Amino acid sequence: MAAVTAEQTNGQNSAVANGNGDRRVIIRTVGLKKTYMMKGVLTEALRGVDIEIFQGEFIAVMGPSGSGKSTFFNMIGALDSPSVGRVFIDEVDVAQLTAEELAYLRCHKIGYIFQSYNLIKYMTALENVTTPMAFGGVMPDQARERGMGILEIVGLKERWHHRPIEMSGGQQQRVAIARSLANNPSVLLCDEPTANLDLNTGQEILELLQRLNKEKGVTVICATHDHRMMNICDRLMWIRDGRIDRMADRSEVHIEVGTIE
Amino acid sequence: MKEIKIAEQPWLSLHRTIRITVDGIRYRLFRASVTVAVIVVAVAFLMNILSESLIKRSVAANTRERIQNARLIYAWSAKLTSPGSLESVVADLANNPPESAIIQEIQGFGDFSDREMTELRQQAAEIAFVFSFFNGLDYAKRRSMIHTATGMGILNRLRTPAGREQFETALARIKSVHFDLPEEKLDALLEATPAVTVQLNKILTARGRAIAEINREVKNKDLLACLAEADHRFGDVIRQAGFVFDSEKLAPIIAVQAQRLIDTLHLEKSMEERPCRQLIAQQANILPADVNVIMMWDYLDSGRFADRYLERMTSAGLDVTGLDAERLVSLARGRKENTALNKAARLTVDAGRGFMGLGERLTWLLFVSMLVCGIGITNAMMMSVTERFNEIATLKCLGALDGFIMLMFVLESCFMGLVGGAIGALLGAIIGLGRVMAAFGVNFFSAIPVGDILLGMVVSVILGTLLAAVAAVVPSYKAARLAPMEAMRVE
Ligand SMILES: Nc1ncnc2c1ncn2[C@@H]1O[C@H](COP(=O)(O)OP(=O)(O)O)[C@@H](O)[C@H]1O
Ligand SMILES: [Mg+2]
Repeated sequence: MAAVTAEQTNGQNSAVANGNGDRRVIIRTVGLKKTYMMKGVLTEALRGVDIEIFQGEFIAVMGPSGSGKSTFFNMIGALDSPSVGRVFIDEVDVAQLTAEELAYLRCHKIGYIFQSYNLIKYMTALENVTTPMAFGGVMPDQARERGMGILEIVGLKERWHHRPIEMSGGQQQRVAIARSLANNPSVLLCDEPTANLDLNTGQEILELLQRLNKEKGVTVICATHDHRMMNICDRLMWIRDGRIDRMADRSEVHIEVGTIE
Repeated sequence: MKEIKIAEQPWLSLHRTIRITVDGIRYRLFRASVTVAVIVVAVAFLMNILSESLIKRSVAANTRERIQNARLIYAWSAKLTSPGSLESVVADLANNPPESAIIQEIQGFGDFSDREMTELRQQAAEIAFVFSFFNGLDYAKRRSMIHTATGMGILNRLRTPAGREQFETALARIKSVHFDLPEEKLDALLEATPAVTVQLNKILTARGRAIAEINREVKNKDLLACLAEADHRFGDVIRQAGFVFDSEKLAPIIAVQAQRLIDTLHLEKSMEERPCRQLIAQQANILPADVNVIMMWDYLDSGRFADRYLERMTSAGLDVTGLDAERLVSLARGRKENTALNKAARLTVDAGRGFMGLGERLTWLLFVSMLVCGIGITNAMMMSVTERFNEIATLKCLGALDGFIMLMFVLESCFMGLVGGAIGALLGAIIGLGRVMAAFGVNFFSAIPVGDILLGMVVSVILGTLLAAVAAVVPSYKAARLAPMEAMRVE
């Protein structure tokens, strides 16, 4: 297999530039393309994406709607298979995994956070958090204890028995974050986590994600329109028309912040 | 730092799967109850038909016996009045088991050895077959085969060469009719006919002599009045004449039934008297000329009316010895019961044919209703899956296996099948019971086959659950195959 590095793909802003050259690559894509066929119309959602994401990084993926962010997340989250190209998660080719292994990967290694929270409506906050643990084979008592611990981290310990409809959007998203952390994942994939929230609540969610990134060392990949993200992330990635438009470190962006959009 | 190692995902425990499923159903209670209602209707329909046919079958068996018992007095008074015909003796011989009283009686009358008796019964069975063959034909076919011959006359006609010739040609011509007795057997039977006729006549003559003997005893009295004492001396007379008349079981029953019949006839006759007629007319608020026997029996069901009726009978100068209000009511009820028995016998002539005794039309109807119910469940489950796209996809993102999703939906359907089946079975049984009881009257309570109905309910519940499970397979498979990336989609 061809080892394609970040330097080769975009020629700048690589891990080396961060002074982190020895850090592990946790997600790597090679020539990622995805075409959708809908009602006879061919849509090229991704037109060749090559990227390396390092362990412990906080990456913001920005781009106008329809640019292919969600499609990109589906690929690197092992939720869908690319039309062309490969996805490596910790150097394992996702295409080689069986259905059971894929379920294991989604359960233990990746946490998903969605724009519309996607909590299970008939479960309490705690049950929502413990469900991935149950799928992973954790005993109920232990799951309960761990679930309460995680709910405490996101600040919702007192509301463990509330159902989603009894909670505000921000609280629901925090439960969703707690759920994504259930099995100690290596990567958190957040697809526009603050898009449905007001400014303040959105800010809280971003701070929560930043804290998790810093304290737990979880790799966070976050698609967003939210410019506050620039203060938090390590690297920024712009997608336009299914291609990486540019990559930048946070420090560089701050300098040119006035020129963005 | 953590390293990614990939293993196989374990299966979620069944206990946990059931809990998640039940929570889901509880959350969507309204949609679930609609599906359950569909199942309830289908299973109730099934159980209704099933319970009705089970009860009918049981009632049919029950009535046959009760009717036979209720009619013993008629059978015996006929038997003690007339020796019967050649054909009736043939029927007696052909339709009764060798150890039965009637066969023993015939053997006694004919003074036959056991061997002769066995042979005679065999021949009678063949003759009975020939009779039933010709009785089953329509008039034109029968006429073309044996002209107008009836009974033993048929056999005698077939014995003549011309008669045999006509029969054979007609049989060969009419393709739709099959005569199942082999040629050589028919030949042997026709050969033996004169001898058999002699034997049958011997029986009839002996019977006639026995009847004459009894008549000497009855003299100017009424036979019924004598039979009312069948459990005393008159029973001995019957036995001495040569009839097999069981003194232990049969005689008391005959005596009681004879007395009832005497009283019944006496009462029906009493209605011809003016005072009695007037009382009934008054009660029914009609003209005395319009009064009929059925009205009288209807009113006699009440003790107070019976008292007043007895008064009228006395004032009309009728004999009321042995009669009181209680007796009258009991006679009225007995008559009612007999009517119900006859009605039940009429209603159940078709019981016990087709699948589970349901008859072809009902079986087909049942099949269609199950099909419709199955489609209903499939549709409801399809909607449930479509509504829950996001939930299913999210569960898959959280690490659910395809098998878990599949199981979850099949289980959901099974639960609804179970609940709907249980309610439906109960409902169907109650409706079936109610309907049958309304048709037959409450005096058939003892004929309700409780065990069979309970078994039928269990079968219905299992069938409902199974139907729901099968109907859910396609929607569940669709759910299981759903791509997890659907979770990313925003409505
Ligand atoms: N399941 C799909 N079928 C067909 N077209 C799709 C599908 N998902 C996304 N697309 C198309 O792919 C392009 C990228 O979509 P998406 O990745 O959702 O963008 P973003 O998340 O950045 O808004 C869009 O043009 C969209 O219409
Ligand atoms: Mg999107």
